[in-house]
Amino acid sequence: MTETTRTIEVNQLARVEGEGALHLAIDGGQLTVAELRIFEPPRYFEALLRGRDCREAPDITARICGICPVAYLMSSCAAIEDLCGLRVPAPLVDLRRLLYCGEWIESHVLHMFMLHLPDFLGYPDAVSMAREHGDLVRAALRIKKAGNGIVALLGGREIHPINVRIGGFYRLPTRAELAPLRDELAFALDAAEQALVPLAALDFPDFERDYTFVALRHDSEYPMGRGRLVSSDGVDLPVARYDDYLTEHHVRHSTSLHSRTADGGVVHLGPLARYALNHDRLTPRARAAAAAAGLPPVVRNPFRSIQVRGVEVVLALEEALRLIDGYVPGDTPAAAFEPRAGIGYGATEAPRGVLYHRYAVDAAGLITDAKIVAPTSVNQAVIEADLRHYVEPNLHQPDEALRAVCETAIRNYDPCISCSAHFLKLTVERR
Amino acid sequence: MHEHSLIANLLSRIDAIACQHSAKRVVGVSVWIGALAHISAGHFREHFEDGSRGSLAQGARLDIEVSDDPEHPQAQDILLRSIEVV
Ligand SMILES: [Zn+2]
Repeated sequence: MTETTRTIEVNQLARVEGEGALHLAIDGGQLTVAELRIFEPPRYFEALLRGRDCREAPDITARICGICPVAYLMSSCAAIEDLCGLRVPAPLVDLRRLLYCGEWIESHVLHMFMLHLPDFLGYPDAVSMAREHGDLVRAALRIKKAGNGIVALLGGREIHPINVRIGGFYRLPTRAELAPLRDELAFALDAAEQALVPLAALDFPDFERDYTFVALRHDSEYPMGRGRLVSSDGVDLPVARYDDYLTEHHVRHSTSLHSRTADGGVVHLGPLARYALNHDRLTPRARAAAAAAGLPPVVRNPFRSIQVRGVEVVLALEEALRLIDGYVPGDTPAAAFEPRAGIGYGATEAPRGVLYHRYAVDAAGLITDAKIVAPTSVNQAVIEADLRHYVEPNLHQPDEALRAVCETAIRNYDPCISCSAHFLKLTVERR
Repeated sequence: MHEHSLIANLLSRIDAIACQHSAKRVVGVSVWIGALAHISAGHFREHFEDGSRGSLAQGARLDIEVSDDPEHPQAQDILLRSIEVV
């Protein structure tokens, strides 16, 4: 018997909802509370990882985020490799850096041009912006695509790569497979420099804060996949001592934890921090792009993160070309290893800042405990503080205008929690 | 992260529409993905298959059209076009 099917026309928008909520309390013209609530999946993943083979950790954690899966893969691999005392051969380290370049390009361009720029130019979203700035949007899409090309080739597919494993990759690309990416990346590098020109002319709010910047730092390269944990107030630690520096605390108003230093300090992760702490490690064209955009070596205005991301896009494209040109496939796609009991630590520079993983593994190679600290949750306290300072002079405005102001300030940090045009559930309590 | 919420929203709409039409099952779902929707067809499919488990739309055929026009008025959106029910 065949069942009869009926087609129902729907034509409705699917929406991203409920990812972020902001509560403001205003008492007699004073802002007394600014609490940001964000949805934080790492908690579930940490529980889910217990009892799983440590070799599964990269693929499981890569599912946490569709915008930065490579970051999860890389931090996870770094932690398990640390645990096993595994040294990854240099050609594989380079190939991983190339993959990371792909993710920085994709994620930064999405963040800058699709989500952040419309705020500055006064459009509700990238679509309305595209009507009057079509060339810029098309150029951005093409630059982003060049990044996607890297992730698709090295990762095995465009989103949620499947070709990465502890010790290296499952399969190495040939030189002939990498070569076709080159032209598009070279085009994208020129286009990225061009796209920074209109950004330099934007009207940035006159707003600076004295952040404590935290990022990785490496002897010879701008940080992506490795380095020590350093801060603008002199901290310099191996990643294994992350927990000595930053600890997480529950706060009443959010499901995500707040990170604090031992003396209660709040730290700022991400492009501004990487740039401030590694300005001397910029590649030549990235350094020139920063100078052309009028950026000083330390940028304290969070709204100018859009420009610093642009400098990092130039850097990632330049690095990608260098790595492709220098690529010689090794004889093995991955270093061999045996799981062993212990604790491993890994941190890499996700587009939005340091992403820290820690795993405890038993003698059978099974995970007994996992800790994942996403940069957005570390930055949450800084975002709230920015909001408090930035919103204060705008308190007389109606709620809708206030929402726009808050969204812009939050988008300085993260598109993951602000990907739909009006994501923010804003509650304002006026007394 | 954003995929979770997106698919949850979509599936609840599909379930609601199927129930309104007293359908037993949803056998086909047709969606349109805008050029700036920040999700690829493959990625969407994977999340849909994951998310629809245990819902009326479990195992439904998924037809996805991906637009490449960034100036389309709905370029940032995902549109649920139609569902096929029995
Ligand atoms: Zn993310």
